Amino acid sequence: MAPQTPAVVMDNGTGYTKLGFAGNDSPSFVFPTAIATKSQGGGGGGSGSGRPAVANKPSFLTGGAGPGSHLSGKRGTEDLDFFIGDEALAASAGPGYGLHYPIRHGQIENWDDMERFWSNSIFKYLRVEPEDHYFLLTEPASQYHLNYSAPLNPPENRENTAEIFFESFNCAGLYIAVQAVLALAASWTSSKVQDRSLTGTVIDSGEGVTHVIPVAEGYVIGSSIKSIPIAGRDITYFVQSLLRDRGEPDSSLKTAERIKEEYCYVCPDVVKEFSRFDMEPAERFKQHTVTYPNGKSVTVDVGYERFLAPEIFFNPEIYSSDFLTPLPNIVDMTIQQSPIDVRRGLYKNIVLSGGSTLYRQFGRRLQRDIKHLVDERIAASERRSGGAKSGGLEVQVIEHKRQRHGPWFGGSLLGQTPEFRSYCHTKAEYDEYGPSIVRRFALLGGPGST
Amino acid sequence: MLLLDYQNVLIESLLKDRLAGAAPTSIDQVVSDFDGVTFHISTPESKSKIQISIALRCFNELVKYGAQQVLEREYGPFIVPPEQGYDFSVSVDLDSLPPDQDARDDLVRRISLLKRNVMAAPFEQAFDEFKALQEEASKYTSESAPQGVMEGGEVRAIHYREEEAIYIKASHDRVTVIFSTRFSDETDRVFGKVFLQEFVDARRRAIQNAPQVLFRSDAPLELQNVPGVVSSGSGEIGYITFVLFPRHLTPQRREEVISHIQTFRDYFHYHIKASKAYIHSRMRKRTADFLQVLRRARPDSEEKERKTASGRTFRVQG
Repeated sequence: MAPQTPAVVMDNGTGYTKLGFAGNDSPSFVFPTAIATKSQGGGGGGSGSGRPAVANKPSFLTGGAGPGSHLSGKRGTEDLDFFIGDEALAASAGPGYGLHYPIRHGQIENWDDMERFWSNSIFKYLRVEPEDHYFLLTEPASQYHLNYSAPLNPPENRENTAEIFFESFNCAGLYIAVQAVLALAASWTSSKVQDRSLTGTVIDSGEGVTHVIPVAEGYVIGSSIKSIPIAGRDITYFVQSLLRDRGEPDSSLKTAERIKEEYCYVCPDVVKEFSRFDMEPAERFKQHTVTYPNGKSVTVDVGYERFLAPEIFFNPEIYSSDFLTPLPNIVDMTIQQSPIDVRRGLYKNIVLSGGSTLYRQFGRRLQRDIKHLVDERIAASERRSGGAKSGGLEVQVIEHKRQRHGPWFGGSLLGQTPEFRSYCHTKAEYDEYGPSIVRRFALLGGPGST
Repeated sequence: MLLLDYQNVLIESLLKDRLAGAAPTSIDQVVSDFDGVTFHISTPESKSKIQISIALRCFNELVKYGAQQVLEREYGPFIVPPEQGYDFSVSVDLDSLPPDQDARDDLVRRISLLKRNVMAAPFEQAFDEFKALQEEASKYTSESAPQGVMEGGEVRAIHYREEEAIYIKASHDRVTVIFSTRFSDETDRVFGKVFLQEFVDARRRAIQNAPQVLFRSDAPLELQNVPGVVSSGSGEIGYITFVLFPRHLTPQRREEVISHIQTFRDYFHYHIKASKAYIHSRMRKRTADFLQVLRRARPDSEEKERKTASGRTFRVQG
């Protein structure tokens, strides 16, 4: 092989897919993990969509697929009639196409759609021959630890993924990494990180859910993962409800999202921030102009939601009535539930990842609140012990430039290392051992490798 | 998606964004394209100057077949000395762009077709040679033609991949394009055979205008004296011959034909993979159907009469 081809890094998330080549500092493509197919096919995979899929006769007696099957009509090239990403959104707006999201809650639900999604990602967007490239994929979190609230990926999903990549695409080699671990690796670019350890707490907040994932030496502590049902979408809804309450001329979700992304920040103290807004309204209150495709535009006032919206992480009671634990407490609880010998490392390396952690001052506020909780606990135990002094505990929240696509960037970083290929499973190994081979991967970027 | 795009989508979307006035930021991306082509998109000097470099393994061969002229024709003022480690570079200065939108779109399109244009050179040369030979041959009858006119020109070989190559040969009445392909995977070979058979049969059925396609596992006669042609006959390597007739070589069709035939290999592999995906989806569907049959075949648990505490009985409905 003349020059080594760069590894392909794919991070398929619930909301967005990040595609690119290892070694780059940002993904080449970021688009929604959506696929638009001709509408009548509800999707295979035996989802039990209520349609009688099985006729009186077993389908092998009727020639092709059974009657009523969505495959029976497919004799031509209909299976190639689909779009992914932004094109899918555009196509589904018109007639004839239905929009599907093959990944739900971080896990692949519809393998048919996903296989085609991958096929199109590889051939249309990345334009690579999979036989020439190694692939680095991501998966939600550890396996084997069963905990219903955690973002887990059963090993069968890995096997299915491997089947598709090795059998459909004949990819040269495959590595499946855990997103949280990659997010830790991405934080190595921050100047605050001195040692490149894979121990830390990852706060991954995307569109749907926020996860707090403790990682020790590259392995996820599955039993102490915690999830919070507050994430990007909730902030958008909250902004929207505030806009509606004020009766703004435009309170669509899209506007709310724009306002959230452009104006919101985290404040150190809500009460003080309110008074600051009242003192200097000219500087604090903003105006957002929405321009419609038909050329008209309206102006929307942006007020307290600037700091109130991200505040729902820290004071969830202002938004939700059934989930009331603030994020700093959740982080603290997560670490307290982890094995005692790694807790120090977990407190010291709290890494942010995902689009909903990008608010200004988010890290600082989180660090302050967690530190507060920790100090309180230490003070209490010092009191109880009667005179013993604690050496203190370092709490550090790490913000870095690659936060938005943290897992992807971590993948890019690890995928370009010279030893990456030796960590992958190759096609030959797959042919030799079968799909179960991907249940285990050597830890990339672990001790002694970089 | 039936056909693959010819242009690189990333370059296209990136340039389109920038030319439409997106905020200038520095870029430094190394991206791949089919057939081991590597692009490097960067902003080495200032944020408004985007440099795009291409590296491909057969560049020297392509230069031999006139790539430099084609590139100069297409990118004239944008060419800059090739970047270290790359074969060819163009640079676009965002501050001195053509003012009107059409010219800008054309620029984006041309640059995103960089790989296609580099690879087009030998085809263009062969098509030109065909024209010359055709004129030459029209002066003679088939008997009196001197040596060389009837046999056509030299075979242009482009080793665009590790073990695969394109051979192009112009004759007075056709241009022959031969792809040597290699299938490392046995399943792919089977799929490939089916596909190629379809190509061969296409002419026999509806599409009379299609170029003639032949495939075989030993080297065709055209390649007899070409160095480096392996005639293994083992089945791993196959030769696919496209015979382009004069009607495919008219100036109007030319560009399209070159684009199409260039992407043939990737198109072919894409469809092999897409059909595997299709078959997988049928297999999943079938498994789900069988599972449902099994579930239905499970006998219902016997319904026993139940009594309340007071001794009355009732039936569970349904």
